[in-house]
Amino acid sequence: MTPKIISESALAALVANLVAGQVRVIAPVRAKDNPEHADYLPIRRLEDAAFNGPLPRRSLKEFFLPPTEVLLRYRQHKDGVDLEEVRTTFPPQVILGARPCDAAGVEILDKVMGWDYRDELWFGRREATTIIGLACPGVDDSCFCSAVGLGPDSTKGSDLLLVPCDGGYLAQAVTPKGEALLNKEPLQAAPDAAAGQTVEALWQGPREKVAKNLPPVPSTLPEWLAKSFNHSYWNSLALRCHGCGACASLCPTCHCFDIVDQHEHYDQGERRRNWDSCQTGKFTLHASNYNPRKTQSERFRQRVTHKFSIYPQRFNSLLCTGCGRCARVCPAGMNLPEILGELTQLAGTEVKGASE
Amino acid sequence: MNLYQPYLMRIEEITDETPDVRTYKLKFKDPKVAADFNFAAGQFGEYSVFGEGESTFCIASPPTRRDYIECSVKSVGKVTQALRRLDVGATLGFRGPYGNSFPLEQMKGRSIVFIAGGIGLAPVRSLIWNVLDLRDMFKDVTIVYGARKVADLVYKRELAEWAQRTDAKLFQAVDPGGQTPDWKGDVALVPVLLEKAAPKADDAFAVVCGPPIMIKFTLPVLTKLGFPDDRIYTTLENRMKCGIGKCGRCNVGPVYVCKDGPVFTLAQMKQLPQDF
Repeated sequence: MTPKIISESALAALVANLVAGQVRVIAPVRAKDNPEHADYLPIRRLEDAAFNGPLPRRSLKEFFLPPTEVLLRYRQHKDGVDLEEVRTTFPPQVILGARPCDAAGVEILDKVMGWDYRDELWFGRREATTIIGLACPGVDDSCFCSAVGLGPDSTKGSDLLLVPCDGGYLAQAVTPKGEALLNKEPLQAAPDAAAGQTVEALWQGPREKVAKNLPPVPSTLPEWLAKSFNHSYWNSLALRCHGCGACASLCPTCHCFDIVDQHEHYDQGERRRNWDSCQTGKFTLHASNYNPRKTQSERFRQRVTHKFSIYPQRFNSLLCTGCGRCARVCPAGMNLPEILGELTQLAGTEVKGASE
Repeated sequence: MNLYQPYLMRIEEITDETPDVRTYKLKFKDPKVAADFNFAAGQFGEYSVFGEGESTFCIASPPTRRDYIECSVKSVGKVTQALRRLDVGATLGFRGPYGNSFPLEQMKGRSIVFIAGGIGLAPVRSLIWNVLDLRDMFKDVTIVYGARKVADLVYKRELAEWAQRTDAKLFQAVDPGGQTPDWKGDVALVPVLLEKAAPKADDAFAVVCGPPIMIKFTLPVLTKLGFPDDRIYTTLENRMKCGIGKCGRCNVGPVYVCKDGPVFTLAQMKQLPQDF
């Protein structure tokens, strides 16, 4: 399907129609506490959205894997236990103005959520959601989406991608869901012709800007990491890491979770799954007090290895979208793009050294 | 159905194995679930005490006994201590069976040596009874079992039963200092007991479960006896939450213990980074 140009007013009408039809529309919105920040929040009309604002503080992950969610409810009585199932179907929602790094994170996680055992809570929300991505101008020096095979105009994870252009937005359908949306009123009224504008040409500037931050991660990195578990690089790397897990909370692709019972009254409660992080000391702690990952360096190695070796070797995709949030938020200055640059160099020298 | 929704099971019987290990015999409350339930020796489940949470235990009974499952649990953490407070008739949650299993089909027609230490006998017990229930299909069966002290030996009634059998050889020992005046077995560490048992490696499989230190010193003995790495089996006991390859907790290098394991050959273990 050829791209078409959607005017600002057509997009505003779309939001109005969706909201009137009881569809939840989520978009980046300037934070009430500080307009220099933004969050993905429900909007009532297009002007509530901050398309040109800062990168939202948290990724889109929480709309598919909430920070905490009920898995079941139980009630104990003298004859046993009654269980109440939670629903795995969800009302429709549209995410408008998703950053390409955030949209990509959702698609990357489909793999782990769907292999063999299908996580109905994840896919129930996935099916109910349409993601409209918005090309990103590039945030700052911590961005490195182009180093992990994506880019500021990447379509991965979006059903429809909008690229700002003369006259509004150049709209490119990516999935049948996106195509269906593009064929709906009021977008149908938009002119089909893109007047010679292409995504390629429109977004060359941001692509070049982001590419300067970090060269592409080499395809040999997953294999090198798998072999370099005992490399001395890891030993002192995480001495300054607090193990707070803020990086994992903000990460679009960190998906580790805990399952806990929340007992509420004397006879009833909920089983919940809560976000967790491999950076905390208790993550792998056995009940016997044995811990396979005793030091923060071992835990940090796990985070890097999971993203750039374990996941790619298993699911053929890096577990990172280059959003840079982990580097920006870290109170101790752990910097993943910098670390990736160093690992890439090490891998390059050692692979070269071995072949000589 | 939501993946995380457990089946309900009733505690039918509780057996005290040691001062802190109990075996729970469980039956599905829903007869349809009971009729459809199948598993293989080596698989595990997520057991829950409602209000306390879920824990991962192997299924310690054999798949040849279809009416129930058993798990043997050491009281060490939040869920296992809560489990200890429950009586016969109480309701538990169960998700499973999960994970891979011992290669029973490949083992048919061959000899098997089972080596276990302490509560490590639980996963092995499922396979031992599976093999003994189909005894004609296997050659020699040797069981080598040890614990720190006499009180720590689990499944004492079954050990007595195995000792009586003419179609299986049982070697049992307690660590030096762990014997009681009436102890009739050996006083030795498991690797030493294994050397004494000296099972033949020809056309044989070895299955080893126990504390890491025992496994560490037992493997060289097996190698010396001539067992190749791909016929030595063990299990990894990583902390798990989901059991189904989602929660990211049990990774050892590229391996999801919950899906690729918990049963591994020594050959596979040697490929893994020291992250367990």
